[in-house]
Amino acid sequence: MAQTKLTDNVQFPDSANPSRTIIAVGVVGVIASLVGVVVNYEQFLHSYLTSFSFFISISLASLFLVMIHHITRSSWGTTLRRIPETFSSYLWVFALLFIPILLGMSTLYGWTQEQYSPFYEGLREYKSPYLNVTFFIIRNIIYFAIWSFLGYKLYNNSIKMDETGDWGLDSMFRKISAPGIFFFGFTLAFASFDWIMSLRFDWFSTMFGVYYFAMSFQAIMAVLIVMILYLRGKGLLLNTITRAHINDLGLWMFAFTVFYAYIAFSQFFLIYYANIPEATLFYFVRMEGNWQYVFYAVIFGRFVIPFIVLLNKSAKANYKVLTTVSFLIIASHIVELFWLVMPSLHDTFTIHWLDVATFLGLAGIFFGCFFFFFKKQSMVPKNDPNLIESLNKH
Amino acid sequence: MSDQVKETDKTVFAMLAEYDNPAKLMKAAKLVNRAGYTKFDAHSPFPIHGMDGAMGLKESKLGWIVLSHALVGFSGGLALQVWASSIAYPINIGGRPFANIPAYVPVTFELTILLSAFAAVFGMFFLNNLPKLHNSLFNSENFSRVTDDKFFICIETEDGMFSEEETQKFLEGTGASHIEKVYE
Repeated sequence: MAQTKLTDNVQFPDSANPSRTIIAVGVVGVIASLVGVVVNYEQFLHSYLTSFSFFISISLASLFLVMIHHITRSSWGTTLRRIPETFSSYLWVFALLFIPILLGMSTLYGWTQEQYSPFYEGLREYKSPYLNVTFFIIRNIIYFAIWSFLGYKLYNNSIKMDETGDWGLDSMFRKISAPGIFFFGFTLAFASFDWIMSLRFDWFSTMFGVYYFAMSFQAIMAVLIVMILYLRGKGLLLNTITRAHINDLGLWMFAFTVFYAYIAFSQFFLIYYANIPEATLFYFVRMEGNWQYVFYAVIFGRFVIPFIVLLNKSAKANYKVLTTVSFLIIASHIVELFWLVMPSLHDTFTIHWLDVATFLGLAGIFFGCFFFFFKKQSMVPKNDPNLIESLNKH
Repeated sequence: MSDQVKETDKTVFAMLAEYDNPAKLMKAAKLVNRAGYTKFDAHSPFPIHGMDGAMGLKESKLGWIVLSHALVGFSGGLALQVWASSIAYPINIGGRPFANIPAYVPVTFELTILLSAFAAVFGMFFLNNLPKLHNSLFNSENFSRVTDDKFFICIETEDGMFSEEETQKFLEGTGASHIEKVYE
């Protein structure tokens, strides 16, 4: 029964590569988005920011997962590690994708305008040592430099180990990850402040960074489950990523469903209970009119339904249930980001065609990059010291 | 009082078979289960993966006990607050609604967790027949090695299929290195 070496084909076959669909979707999305830039620039920027913060959250949560995996010297996920590794390896692409937001920041963020509104002028000036254009650009360069470095370095080290089989490289993982996780925590928190929270610069929540992280980390488990089941559907890695691994991802997903709810509720609850006008206005806008239905949809889609469904032990081992819940969580993640970003533009909930267009465009780029890098290397870190232990996980 | 009660006067509690290694124990557990014995148990110095399946144990009922208590805690906590602050003694707090669900979450959550935790601990005690001050298995000299290097299966006399000769013969066929009767 015990496996002593990899028995599956670890090379990603061209037949399983959905590159045509991805290119078609991507091209349509990008062209439509470019049309949107001309037609409705403000709407384009908001839609783009929503889609951008969704796709980068997958890559960032992957980066965190890989780092925590290395620091704890885990073996459970070694066989599936190449998937999150690949997701985080091309974080530099997001640095390029961030350029439209930098170009449009004077339209997107109120604090960039000197005379935004007489009422807010005092507050704007008060916050300007942090919220000013130059510092914003510098900060974002730092974020992307750190993330790109970490993601690429960890991926590259893993590839090198594949080729040389040198177990001495294993210590490099921890040398990068340990300080990496420290910087990751700060950069992620401040990035979420900058990108989403500063859309309304008169509102602030110190928990927002953790909140964005909790959202992302719940979603990455769902994404991984979907990716692995996609590979299994193509008959790949059947003996390498086993039922035990998928069951563990289900457990993670359940755990972080609860963690997400805890964080999201804590942020909401303190603001709700204290009832200070400057703090409540963020939720006030988002719980009024038909935005409130989005709010309730997120609560049910991300917490209530996944929690009740995944509570059962057998549900976490059932692929159909796991896939359904994963898609529900991913969809809710998108809707929640939409709910965070979009009220700064629309007072009532409406879906613009640019929301779909920018999403498809970025989806094309995101998955195009993923499969481009994924097919070049073995799908499993095939010379990893923990590989055999991970193969025999039960 | 005489210490020398004859062996035949004591009642047999169980038939105890000793095995040398986990693999033999696992195989024996499968055979015992397949033979149809239900009142039997396997003992080992450390947990053996797959033993539950070999012994044909069913899923524990503990989860359902915990769930039922959690639901009681949840609805009880919610009902308590709704009743107290919106029916029995409604107070206007900062213009919030009387049935103020977000504010009720912490207490509801705590009560859910409290009752679940109690249910998990005491339910486990109940399902394991604890507390139990004495187990007749400790009358066996050899059985003390179960915490060291030996593996045991005991079939209790309460089992419907138990008969001294038959069971002994059956256990001999499962690869036991030593078989003995344990008295009450």
